[in-house]
Amino acid sequence: MIEELRKDFVKNTTQIIVSDTESRVLQSDNNILSIPTGNYLTSVHPFFYTISNLLEEPLDENYFYCVQIENLGKNYFFDIKTKIYRKSGQVALFLIDFTEHYKSVHKIKQARNESIIDFNIAQELNNELQVQRGFKNKFLANVSHEIRTPLNSIVGFIQVLQNTGLNREQLDLVNIVKSSSENLKSIVNDLLDISKIEAGRLEIKNKRFNLHLLLDELVKAHQIQAEEKRITFQFERGESLPRFIVLDRLRLNQVLVNLLDNAIKYTQVGNITFSVTTPSKNRRKIPIVFEVKDTGIGIDAENVTTIFESFTQLEKRGLFGGTGLGLSIVKQLSELMEGKIEVESVKGKGSIFRFTVEAGVSHDQKAEKKLRSRTSKSKESKNSKYRVLLGEDIEVNQLLLMRIFADHPDYSLDIAKNGEHVLKLLDHYKYDLILMDLTMPIMDGFDATARIRNHKNKHISKIPIIALSARCSDEDIEESKEVGMNGYLIKPIDERELFQTMEKLIQRYKRKGQGVS
Amino acid sequence: MSVSKKIVLLGHFGVGKSSLLRRFVEDTFSENYIVTIGVHIMKKEVSIAGEQVTLIIWDVEGTDDFTKYRPSYLMGAASFIYVFDASREVTYSDLKYNLEHLSEKYPHVPVHIIGNKVDLVDANILQENLLSQNIKPDYLSSAKTGENVEQLFENVAAQVLKND
Repeated sequence: MIEELRKDFVKNTTQIIVSDTESRVLQSDNNILSIPTGNYLTSVHPFFYTISNLLEEPLDENYFYCVQIENLGKNYFFDIKTKIYRKSGQVALFLIDFTEHYKSVHKIKQARNESIIDFNIAQELNNELQVQRGFKNKFLANVSHEIRTPLNSIVGFIQVLQNTGLNREQLDLVNIVKSSSENLKSIVNDLLDISKIEAGRLEIKNKRFNLHLLLDELVKAHQIQAEEKRITFQFERGESLPRFIVLDRLRLNQVLVNLLDNAIKYTQVGNITFSVTTPSKNRRKIPIVFEVKDTGIGIDAENVTTIFESFTQLEKRGLFGGTGLGLSIVKQLSELMEGKIEVESVKGKGSIFRFTVEAGVSHDQKAEKKLRSRTSKSKESKNSKYRVLLGEDIEVNQLLLMRIFADHPDYSLDIAKNGEHVLKLLDHYKYDLILMDLTMPIMDGFDATARIRNHKNKHISKIPIIALSARCSDEDIEESKEVGMNGYLIKPIDERELFQTMEKLIQRYKRKGQGVS
Repeated sequence: MSVSKKIVLLGHFGVGKSSLLRRFVEDTFSENYIVTIGVHIMKKEVSIAGEQVTLIIWDVEGTDDFTKYRPSYLMGAASFIYVFDASREVTYSDLKYNLEHLSEKYPHVPVHIIGNKVDLVDANILQENLLSQNIKPDYLSSAKTGENVEQLFENVAAQVLKND
């Protein structure tokens, strides 16, 4: 019985052929392929040319797995064993038919290889996109930087010009120039931010800050803007909203400014409601929901998904201006902060933008006391005059700072044209603070600061130094910290921010027993 | 009288080895990717300077690890054709490593390097990539358009005859 089964199995799956070393058939059982004796195997299939090579191989037996052989219109997959009898010059070939098995293997490999190739192609495309994006970001960053420098002068001198006793008409015209230059400044800032975010160079820096104060500032600024458009601006602060939270204040402010600016920009009549709430008050980390609701132009359902993409604007006719980068920045910042931005909108009725983010809670009451005491001290000490040294090589920037300082009688300003000049003046006069441009001839701001910090005179070595620069890369800011600078202000300089920062640093300097006055 | 020579096509899967072979032997091309398993063999007779040679071309299942090639597939080869996909860097980034393996195991078998699918890439970017990795292919080809296919096999045949 077994012998019969074996014969039957072999008959259906195996063919044995004996040939000479030139592939001429001597014997064949013809179980699968019909090959007449005397024919050359090479005429059946090119695989059999390999017979002529066997004599040169060291082994008598060789195995060839999964050989595809087409014969009389049928495709086979054979595992082939060859055995050479060198003395007689004969070759035995055992063809074992694994067609069904290899067909199923083929299906699996087809699916596997296709998915790997698709993955490779996606990776290649992604690499290409990264290269293009890198180029774009570098271009944007460079161009934005080049625009910033002259913009610094424009914005600064407009502020100065406003306070030169202009008549009504002149003031109106200056206000138009001011508004346009501020728009331009915000566009340049958006471009820089987007290039930084896309290049992965924007870091979230969570620190404790007064949330209520930030919200008050935002509400005050936007209430004025809303009033100018004769729309109502309402603010709702949740009862359990903590005063001090831990989050990136700068980036949170940026998200909210964008959302509030948009609400005002796209609302012609009706009202805007800004609400900030939290469902929890006792945990160390709480979700905070910032919601901006407007009765503006709204968004088509089909566009709701694309409004967070770069260079997309809610209104295509250009009535509202801007680059269309604001919401893209909002989305990317919210993701960096591990928050979530959502939108609900009805075309012609209005929109609700909701930003939810987890924030750490700081219940530090001492911090509040400290803040109050600092504020009062700062007010008390305003009677004395502070002497500030500016290190700046560009004349127009020197002039701008001189004009700004002229409106602040509590401060006097001396000017050094490079880092070396700064060091010389420090040896002759006492200063409360130094404003240091980073890029200067002869000795730059980094070098000058490093020398000041190593100065043997304690008063000089401890003096507060603020970097003033149009450069705003994280590397520059980090380097300024490393050499010992206490602050970093990016040009165009905001007058209010400049004096707040100087005041803060001078007060700290005086508390430590240094300072001139 | 025609001599027969075994040529083996090697390379990662999906680089177009089977397509090159079909273009050369049958002058056909299909956009569909069909995986080769094991080995598929075709032959073509070519005439080089009046001398006939039958190329027995073994189209071996692609792999990124040449150490896994079955020795029986490569034995008796007169020449190897190493094919990579010019549009997928992953198929040539390990080329040097694989060539080292071949030269160690088969020191007397010449290797021809072919960058296929050039119809899919920007020539300048490809040249830049290849230069940066110090890869100098013998031919850049396209089985789809037929670019350089005939030439590369004839060149291989000529060299095989020369080495004979």
